[in-house]
Amino acid sequence: MIVFDNVSKFYGDVLGVNRVDLHIPPGITSLVGPNGSGKTTLMNLMTGLVYPNSGVIQVRGISPFAPEKLMKILGYATQYDAGPRGATGFDFVYTGLLLHGFTKAEAQRRAWASIERVGLTGAAKRKVAGYSKGMRQRIRLAQAIAHDPEVLILDEPLNGLDPLVRAETIALFRDYGASGRHVVLSSHVLQEVDVFSDQVILIANGMIVAEGQIRSVREEIHEHPSQFLLHCRNASRVASMLFEEEHIAEVKMAPEGQGLLVLTKNREAFSMALERIALSGTDIDGVMPTDENVDALYEYLIGGGR
Amino acid sequence: MAVYRRGYQRYEGALTNHFGRMMVIPRYSWERILSQRFVTILLVVSLFWPVLCAGFVYLANHTELWQGLGGGLKRFLAINGRFFAVFMNVQSTFALIMAAVAGPGLIAPDLVNNALPLYFSRPMTRQDYILSRLIVLLGILSLVTIVPGMLLFGMQVGIAGFDWFIQNWYLGAAIFFGFLLYIGVVSLVALTSSAYVKWRVVAGALVLAFFFLLTGAAEMVNHVFRVDWASALNPAYALNTVWAGMLDIDIPDDKPGVMECATFLLAISGGLLAALARKLRPVEVVR
Amino acid sequence: MTPWQQIWTIARLELGRVFFSKRSFWVYLLAIFPSVIFTGHAIDATLKARQWSGRGEKITAEVMNKLQTGMTDQEVLRLAGKPVTDFERTRRPRRREEDPDAEKQPEVRRYMMYFDGKRRVDLRFEDGKLVGRNTRDLLNFEEDRKVYAGMFQFFYLRLGVFFGCLGIFINLFRGEMLDRSLHFWFLAPVKREVLLLGKYCAGLIAASLIFGGGALLSFLAMALPQDPAELQTFWQTNGVEHAVWYVAAAMLGCVGYGSVFLAAGLLLKNPIAPAIVMLLWESMNGFLPDVMQKLSVLHYLQSICPVPVPLPSDMPTVMKMLLAPAAPSSAAVAVGGLLGVTALVLFAATQAVRRLEINYSTEA
Repeated sequence: MIVFDNVSKFYGDVLGVNRVDLHIPPGITSLVGPNGSGKTTLMNLMTGLVYPNSGVIQVRGISPFAPEKLMKILGYATQYDAGPRGATGFDFVYTGLLLHGFTKAEAQRRAWASIERVGLTGAAKRKVAGYSKGMRQRIRLAQAIAHDPEVLILDEPLNGLDPLVRAETIALFRDYGASGRHVVLSSHVLQEVDVFSDQVILIANGMIVAEGQIRSVREEIHEHPSQFLLHCRNASRVASMLFEEEHIAEVKMAPEGQGLLVLTKNREAFSMALERIALSGTDIDGVMPTDENVDALYEYLIGGGR
Repeated sequence: MAVYRRGYQRYEGALTNHFGRMMVIPRYSWERILSQRFVTILLVVSLFWPVLCAGFVYLANHTELWQGLGGGLKRFLAINGRFFAVFMNVQSTFALIMAAVAGPGLIAPDLVNNALPLYFSRPMTRQDYILSRLIVLLGILSLVTIVPGMLLFGMQVGIAGFDWFIQNWYLGAAIFFGFLLYIGVVSLVALTSSAYVKWRVVAGALVLAFFFLLTGAAEMVNHVFRVDWASALNPAYALNTVWAGMLDIDIPDDKPGVMECATFLLAISGGLLAALARKLRPVEVVR
Repeated sequence: MTPWQQIWTIARLELGRVFFSKRSFWVYLLAIFPSVIFTGHAIDATLKARQWSGRGEKITAEVMNKLQTGMTDQEVLRLAGKPVTDFERTRRPRRREEDPDAEKQPEVRRYMMYFDGKRRVDLRFEDGKLVGRNTRDLLNFEEDRKVYAGMFQFFYLRLGVFFGCLGIFINLFRGEMLDRSLHFWFLAPVKREVLLLGKYCAGLIAASLIFGGGALLSFLAMALPQDPAELQTFWQTNGVEHAVWYVAAAMLGCVGYGSVFLAAGLLLKNPIAPAIVMLLWESMNGFLPDVMQKLSVLHYLQSICPVPVPLPSDMPTVMKMLLAPAAPSSAAVAVGGLLGVTALVLFAATQAVRRLEINYSTEA
């Protein structure tokens, strides 16, 4: 487990994160939040790059104050674009491995293996300063995975990657997550996070606003109107019947004539209403929730709700 | 074949002229520099000496206040080349500190943030960019050099009269052009250091170190070779000597003369300009 | 991996960057400059001796001493013969305050130079009378040793080693903050203290080699062109000892200044201001009580320099106090004291590095 116990971090007068309590299990965990919400601060706190003003952090039982132990099991691909001055891609990964205590031969083997894994073998001997944004992203990932860590922390790892590499990178995260390791990442690519994350932590203004699996998080927000897409042939009739129900907040025509978009305050009452409509002889071809993804959740929790 | 409607119409209204466009950079830079507290303090402190000198000019022109005192005092209170040389020496120290404070922030941030392509994607050349940065320093450094210098000269002319001006007009020209030369050299040092050292603080220190280290090096050459010509390699000495020539005051016989010093200053300015032009490229090439 | 192995690994990785980075170029220049000057001096002396011996009369030392101020130019020519150089310079007349309307006559001055094989004498005549006489040796070992001592203490230690260490050691942490690459080191499985010592070792090895080597090179450049007999005597008496102490002083300078600038780079965002304060502190410590003097790196370095700096007799007492150590320490105390101060500063630095956080946005 990665544990945050009542952790707060301030940069002078500016709030980083406030009273964070988190228990992150193994698997893929995505930190989602707008710019400046505190995602990077959480990651830097986990890795000991910044220290909390209060509270305790443990990463698999190790304190970030003990880098000599923590960094043996942890790999961190930061968002900082710069590599060591004048270093080639290979040097960047290789020197990191030497600091881990690997012999030169083993460090070389591992460096080449991780560089190959991120598809940068051809550019390994070029200077990092001359890399494109995507290449820098990949070399940082190579450096983070080179020592085969138990905990992989990745700050915006999918930024700047082309679709092919993005798919390969996500596959790598899945491999890591499936083998019982921690993969903690932050991203603005919400649709992708939705697809491969085991759990999501939503953060806004330095505070955790939700955590858990996307579906379970969604279900706990009872007071928030749920949106459904109704596929039906006689949309105007269904709409007029729905308007008679008290729990219905809004009904509108779905784009491109797919049916109706319905906003309800009570999911159970809505399900019973649908049953009544169907029994009255009006055909309903299908019902689909439209807001059980991270985008919708994000919009509601972080964007202030509707 | 697809035929598209031409919806684009280029702007055909009035544009500011080339110089006006270039002055956009100094306008904003001056505002930023003058809002720094340290610059304000430095400006205030640098005016103490001109005020003292103004008092001296007043005293020197009112003989009734010190009549009966010795000839030594009369010579001491003379407003001549030597007086303005001392004035220029003191003010140039403030100008150097000002250049070390204001200069490094002019180019280094543009390089760190890769902002040069933004400038050069406008109708602006590298020469325009360098010139506009030089104008920034010219404006700021003039406040502690040319402006008080010319005011002081004007005050002396006002009190001493037109006859004094006819005999000593060259002093005014020396103050103006002497300070202009100084500002040119110091600004080039500050801009070059700002272009090569992206850490603003270090760039500022480098401006000071440039003068200290060259002074030390010139002295070392003089001592080791048992010569005097190396003094010309000391920018502070070279500038003082050129000023002395302009102000028509004696220069030590065995030291380098005005021409040697002026040649060195020209050479160093050329070198600094070349170094600046080399560094200021819109694209950084990493091999 | 033991901490010592980690220190060595970090030092090895960092060494290449310190030695071969473009930023280090000016440090090399500072270190090599004295050697270049002394080598140039040796070449210059040899060429001039050859050139002047073939031009004009080669006068004896006795004749040279007879050339005194007050003699006319003709008397000098009769006594010493044809000079090596002889030229006139007309000076532009100056405006005279006391009589600005007086007729301004150009002043003509005559300059002659004689050479006796080792020394040159420059003569200046005004109105046909010898008014200025300046004798200089082309190569004089004793004088050169004093010049070297002055150069070493005033230029090499005060400016060269000082600014060189400032550049090397501040870069180790603060420079990496500016480059936004320090996190790379912090993400290695090493204790922060070990990282600090590794980086310090890298800086120290590089600075010591550059400035120790520079000191040795310049000492040799000063000594080797001298008269072989004098040189042999020098090596047989205290030549080696002098060389060793100069090198040691340069290296110890790197030890002391290095630790201070490393700590300054960790503790302060703007280490240049304290560097200037330190330069002033180092310069004015002659005024301070003995105890406070011992808190200056330069005090110990000057104490182990083998040749005291010759101060001009006409120098004001205040300046003499600024430039000379008031109470030199013994070599053992000097070295021990310096190492003690360094250990203290490094301890403070380890405390600082433990608390150091990565926050690049505040760097500028």
